Amino acid sequence: MAFAGGMIRRLTNRLGGVFVLALLGSAAVFFAMRMGAGDPAIAALGDFATPEAIAVFRTKWGLDQAVILQYWKWLLNALQGDFGASMTVAANVPIAKLIASRLPNTMFIGLYALTIAVLISLSAGTLSVLRHGKFADTVATSFAVLGISMPDFWLSYVLIYIFALGLGIFPSYGFVTPAESFSAALYSGLLPALAVAAPMAAAFTRILRTALLETLHREHVRVARSFGFREAFIFIHYVMRNALIPYVTVVGLQIRYILGGTVVVERIFGVPGIGALMVDAAFARDYPVVQACALTFPIGVLSVNFIVDLICAALNPRETT
Amino acid sequence: MRALFRNPLGLIGLFVTLFVLAAMIAGPWISPYSPTEADYMALLSPPSWGHPFGTDSFGRDVLTRILYGARVSFSVATTGICAAAFIGAVAGLVSAYFGGWWSAIIMRISDLLFSFPSFVLALFLMVLLGFGLANIATAIALIYIPIFTRLTRNMALLVKDEPWVQAAELLGQSTTSILGREILPNIAAPIFVQMALGLAFGIVIEAGLSFLGLGVQPPDPSLGTIMADGREYFQRSPWVLTLSGAAISIALLGLNLLSDGIRDVMDPKLRARL
Repeated sequence: MAFAGGMIRRLTNRLGGVFVLALLGSAAVFFAMRMGAGDPAIAALGDFATPEAIAVFRTKWGLDQAVILQYWKWLLNALQGDFGASMTVAANVPIAKLIASRLPNTMFIGLYALTIAVLISLSAGTLSVLRHGKFADTVATSFAVLGISMPDFWLSYVLIYIFALGLGIFPSYGFVTPAESFSAALYSGLLPALAVAAPMAAAFTRILRTALLETLHREHVRVARSFGFREAFIFIHYVMRNALIPYVTVVGLQIRYILGGTVVVERIFGVPGIGALMVDAAFARDYPVVQACALTFPIGVLSVNFIVDLICAALNPRETT
Repeated sequence: MRALFRNPLGLIGLFVTLFVLAAMIAGPWISPYSPTEADYMALLSPPSWGHPFGTDSFGRDVLTRILYGARVSFSVATTGICAAAFIGAVAGLVSAYFGGWWSAIIMRISDLLFSFPSFVLALFLMVLLGFGLANIATAIALIYIPIFTRLTRNMALLVKDEPWVQAAELLGQSTTSILGREILPNIAAPIFVQMALGLAFGIVIEAGLSFLGLGVQPPDPSLGTIMADGREYFQRSPWVLTLSGAAISIALLGLNLLSDGIRDVMDPKLRARL
């Protein structure tokens, strides 16, 4: 009972925090955007637009009103799921629709990359600890250091060079959305997902290895050993389970990098995702689109942090009492 | 420092970093080519003895451009990270030492900045501030301020009730002196590690932004603009992009190994186990 009560209180606290943060974030993004350099009217109409045309554009999009009023209107609409329409990138298309069509692709690549990174790191981390100090350990740790030293956009081109231009077994550009065909999405999304996953896999492997090595020497493992449990049993139930707590925490923190990493990689591989949309909108000074995209990411990050907290609580019995 | 010499990987990291720095500082003097002058007799020539990294579509020597570009990238990243470390350390110390409202405000602002994926934040800031060198540094600083704030705060919370800090308080030392002379030196090491890591990441941010065309503007060389150039003729002459990216990776490898080394040296408990 105490478990449920404390848990619910913690969850509502966290959710309240997330809400306040999202509100603050949206205000910060909104006001910063209005104060920043560049003008969407000029971006949309060109450098030689007449003052009249600019005035018409500004009135149409409400840019001539007081900023605080603009924000209030935007917030009221946003709370009802209406983020306005795109000014320049995809003129007049509702942003909610734009994001709804792009978000699944980013999530697909992100989850794909996360799955690859977790699979690689779980096996490489475990292997390097079981073969601690031996050849396999050296190989795994060397690759892990190499992996975090390769910028994802460079790795993208190395992958394109090897697998698309060299071997010709994967497309170098273009992405079939999972909505059209899931298997084709898995195939055409493999290279971008790998490019995003590699640095993550490396970082995860390093943290898992350190965490496993640290847990191996803890008291409770020695006690378990003195009971004469089999090594495999001890490793899974006593070592792995404890090491997974820092691992899951770090995996959760790295979601920020996964989401950030997709921005460039989407552009390179032509994946129609949120990141690519944000870059295009940034060039076109499309305020409402950049705003909506910039907000989508932190909401994603906060939701993931929330899930990570739940997993950690489930893994760690001490947290729930 | 001496312990670092007994840590082979950290030592490799130190040498790689020093090598990169030396090449960056001395390279432009040694190289016979100009980073921006076109040579139409040698367009897109593959790597050779005369041009170890080949030439780009203007016939410019890629290695020379990388060395010049690395200067730009490193100085932008260094400026951003130093600013972030300074502001973050001050904010973290204040938040840890005084607590209360100040702490709450500082930590909420830092949470807010922290909830954006770093690259998305950088991108957003470039749109706001306009493209250009100083703004990349600002973007890098803003990304790293919350990281340094949290780190400093957490470390300062650990030591702020230690006897030597209490002694300084009882002796009537000024608050600035307690923060700067008693607490900061004792938590400086992890901040330096984070700075080395941040420098590596700052280089990636600069390269990524410039690669997308939102950072350093051509014809100025930076690691990112060289790669962006290389992307246009990647199929015909892959060496421009591949080798400039490899140069970034070597610099990052050095910094990562070095910061790993410093961290291991600082944490003897962990070192004994690994």
